Amino acid sequence: MRFTTLNELRAWLDRLAQEHDLIAPRDVDGHVLYRPVASDDEILFDYERPELSAKDYLLPSTEILLRVEKRGSEVTLEEALPDRRQVLFGIRPCDAHGLVVLDALFLEQDPPDLYYRHHRERTTLVGLACPQMWEGCFCTSMGGAPDDPTHLDVLLKPVDGGYAVEPVTGKGMALLEGLALEEREGKPLPVVADAELVPVTPPEKWRALFEDQMWMRHGERCLSCRICAYVCPTCRCFDVTDRVVEERAGVTRIECIRVWDACTSTNYRRVAGGHNPRPTKPERLRNRFYCKFCYYPEDFGPLGCVGCGRCIVSCPVGIDITEVLHDVAERSGG
Amino acid sequence: MNTNVANPMRPYLGQLTGVKDLATGIKLFQIELTEPEGQAAFAGYRPGQFAFVSAFGAGEAPFGITSTPARGPLLEFAVNALGHVTHTLHSLEAGDPVGVRGPLGNWFPMGEIKGRNVVVLGGGIGGAPLRPVIHTILDNRAGYGHLTVLWAARTPDLLVFTDEYDDWRAAPDTELHLTVDRGDENWTSNVGLITQLLEQVAPSLDDTVTITCGPPIMIHFVTLTLQKLGFTLDQMLTTLEARMHCGIGKCGRCNLGEKFICIDGPVFWQSEVAGFLEGFL
Repeated sequence: MRFTTLNELRAWLDRLAQEHDLIAPRDVDGHVLYRPVASDDEILFDYERPELSAKDYLLPSTEILLRVEKRGSEVTLEEALPDRRQVLFGIRPCDAHGLVVLDALFLEQDPPDLYYRHHRERTTLVGLACPQMWEGCFCTSMGGAPDDPTHLDVLLKPVDGGYAVEPVTGKGMALLEGLALEEREGKPLPVVADAELVPVTPPEKWRALFEDQMWMRHGERCLSCRICAYVCPTCRCFDVTDRVVEERAGVTRIECIRVWDACTSTNYRRVAGGHNPRPTKPERLRNRFYCKFCYYPEDFGPLGCVGCGRCIVSCPVGIDITEVLHDVAERSGG
Repeated sequence: MNTNVANPMRPYLGQLTGVKDLATGIKLFQIELTEPEGQAAFAGYRPGQFAFVSAFGAGEAPFGITSTPARGPLLEFAVNALGHVTHTLHSLEAGDPVGVRGPLGNWFPMGEIKGRNVVVLGGGIGGAPLRPVIHTILDNRAGYGHLTVLWAARTPDLLVFTDEYDDWRAAPDTELHLTVDRGDENWTSNVGLITQLLEQVAPSLDDTVTITCGPPIMIHFVTLTLQKLGFTLDQMLTTLEARMHCGIGKCGRCNLGEKFICIDGPVFWQSEVAGFLEGFL
């Protein structure tokens, strides 16, 4: 195996931070989050599951799509795309899996999304395997694993005295050129991932359960707070709006921005005039689960869930996606 | 989809050339696209397609295109002032810049229904995306059978395109029936719901296609009434709406089950709608 020490790894990351937007797990007031870092001292190497996914760096929670300048009747539009390369260090395998789910919509469905594609191309994913599954985790039920290299460019695994380094893609290999590596005997121990498997029911069986009473039971306690979509690595709904940044001397500067949205919000489907075809919480929560396990796979291929478990630990009223999956499986005859 | 290939989220620039009062709270906006790319993209748009119109600084919203390219290069949109973007659009004047993103979505199969009788049912501003259907038939009058237009609004002042009714009535083999929920002192035509008018007019089923747009509740009851009259779901076309944010199947906002109104529609046969997992009502 290829091996590096923590000190070499730190030195490499410190150098990367000079030339890249380096995003890594950080302690922010007691919360572990993927955040921009300026040097290696800010990076956590021993952490559980960051509280938010990494999608913010590919599909930002607020992103400027266009800078608009209006001068009388003259208007100019300019796309706002950052040109620096970006490294996501310490991303967990489930979060990389989430990006592949987003790829199926934003890259593979025509027309591709210019902004997402740009971020995806400028980004290299350096993952750090989870040493175990955490509270709420069920990645192994969604086709992942705590040490799954599949969706990453480089995977690091903690081993005695340092890290085993596994380049996965050419992009990852190129980034590793600056890291001092040595060949060592042996290989990292597999991570114990023995969490009980959650059943995934195929889309066609979901269709038969659309009017099931279970949606009332799960949905009536929903608070429409939308935290589930906010923490989710695959939720991708967005809103687009304009904001006026400056009005001066006959010139108006405007930003056309894209922001995250969530189908569990009260007025998500409301139209001008007031009609709302999805007026109740059970209907909206049902849409969330159908999107992930019925519509998304039917329309775009992959399941809309990677089993990160964040929605389970974040939900203020204890709505548990694995409980829903068990209920669906049970009602579909296992 | 004929939208901006390099960046489908970037609107084409345009200029308002005319703003007309269409009905109480509803204005007609005429837009000239000023960039060659925009003019090329909109060169062959079809009846039933939609586009986003931006009022720079307020944002953009989707509207059915109410013009046809056959009648000139200006794009027309009927806009009811109901929210932030639409109120801002209403404050604009001829000469002001706007953005247009599109044309988006599918269209009424005007080629496929050639030779058949057509019943057009429009409720309120739902008449906007149907006007291109009427214009296409009137401009190719021999290409279609009998045209029956049933046009409704809550009150007489909310009827749209009133200045065109004489032309529609004068066209050969064409009839126009108006109705309002509540009349006023000058109103001499029908009073009642469009479904009542439909039962009264009772158009022939024979080789006929119906095309309906209006509030969801109207589409629902018109469909039931048409069935009562003997029409089948595969004779009925409709166009649906949602408060979309992208128009290209990405933002998630307009899903009906696994379908997206923006890319699978907005035009659907009722026989398709009947098979949707989730209803539009």
